[in-house]
Amino acid sequence: MQANVKVRLFAAVFTLIMLPVCPTSSSGKSEPPGVECDVHAGPCRAHISGTKVSLDIEPKPVKAMHDLTFTVTFEGEKPVAAPYIDLGMPGMNMGRNRVILKPAGELIYRGEGVIVRCPSGRRTWKAKVTVPDVGSVEFVFDVIY
Amino acid sequence: MLSTETIYFVLFTTGLAVGFGHCIGMCGPIVVSLSLSLKGRSVLVPHLLYNGGRITTYGLLGGVMGATGSFTRVVASIASLQKGVMIFTGILIVVMGLAMAGWVPLGAIFGDYYNPQGVLSRGFRKLSEARSTGTYYPLGMLLGLLPCGPVYTALLAAARAGMETQSTLEGLLIGVGLMLSFGLGTVVALLLIAKLADLGWLKRRDVIYKISSVLMVIVGVYFVIRAFRY
Repeated sequence: MQANVKVRLFAAVFTLIMLPVCPTSSSGKSEPPGVECDVHAGPCRAHISGTKVSLDIEPKPVKAMHDLTFTVTFEGEKPVAAPYIDLGMPGMNMGRNRVILKPAGELIYRGEGVIVRCPSGRRTWKAKVTVPDVGSVEFVFDVIY
Repeated sequence: MLSTETIYFVLFTTGLAVGFGHCIGMCGPIVVSLSLSLKGRSVLVPHLLYNGGRITTYGLLGGVMGATGSFTRVVASIASLQKGVMIFTGILIVVMGLAMAGWVPLGAIFGDYYNPQGVLSRGFRKLSEARSTGTYYPLGMLLGLLPCGPVYTALLAAARAGMETQSTLEGLLIGVGLMLSFGLGTVVALLLIAKLADLGWLKRRDVIYKISSVLMVIVGVYFVIRAFRY
């Protein structure tokens, strides 16, 4: 085996062993920055295709591994379809964790979900609110473990 | 809402995807340690058994999730056990690293000098040397309890699917099936890691072998620290 190939292979094994020590992005893709907010203080606000939308998570403070209620409220026009929320960690594939929202008022949608805990200790999570055929927005926030 | 068949496929592909990302980070050091500790023996059967044990645990947890339909309640009830498994895993990796390099005899660590037949001494020696291929299955079952974000997400899906069933038995079966699908997806990446760590030239080089031992000790200590913070 060539010396440089051996070095590369050793580097690969070294990296594999050290991965948990340096948990970083596993997707490798650059992601657009989300709207950062303090979800413990109150609803997070942003726009989807010009429509004001807010995301609130209860109970507060927002803790991982607890049953949570997600509420998305629109201001102005009612969306063409019910929105949904995908929960995940920025730069880390945590699997599909979708919160299905159901109408809870004229412009209000609500659903139940759980933010799981990452043993790496990272606390930053994102909630991507999507309105089918319209658009989406990502809210980035810290949760309590 | 996805159909049951679609969820099986989604969880299998999720397992496949997170296997090459998240699982390599979490289980990679364990898999590498197990491969190196085999010292020249074939890695395939032991690692198939390890993965079989891990998936068995996933299936059992999925069954409980599906039957109860409650993710948070079940997870809360096994939290202490998971912490214990993390500490055990960290110690195991440290012991394997030390024993592999031959720096510290296991007997000196666990009191074999005074009590060679002690339960702790024998247990750790058996696990760290892993002379019996059959050891890898129960070891995999135990390490399947390690806390892991994507596993939690899959268990959450199993609990949700269980909530929508008409009976407890149906929920249990769907929960088992979904977690087995997820677990099978993660096997590919971990088998590749096992094979990579089994490269013959790595084992022939004493220096590289000892560097790997040091890294295993560091990773093991990190596992223990992380367990206490968990």
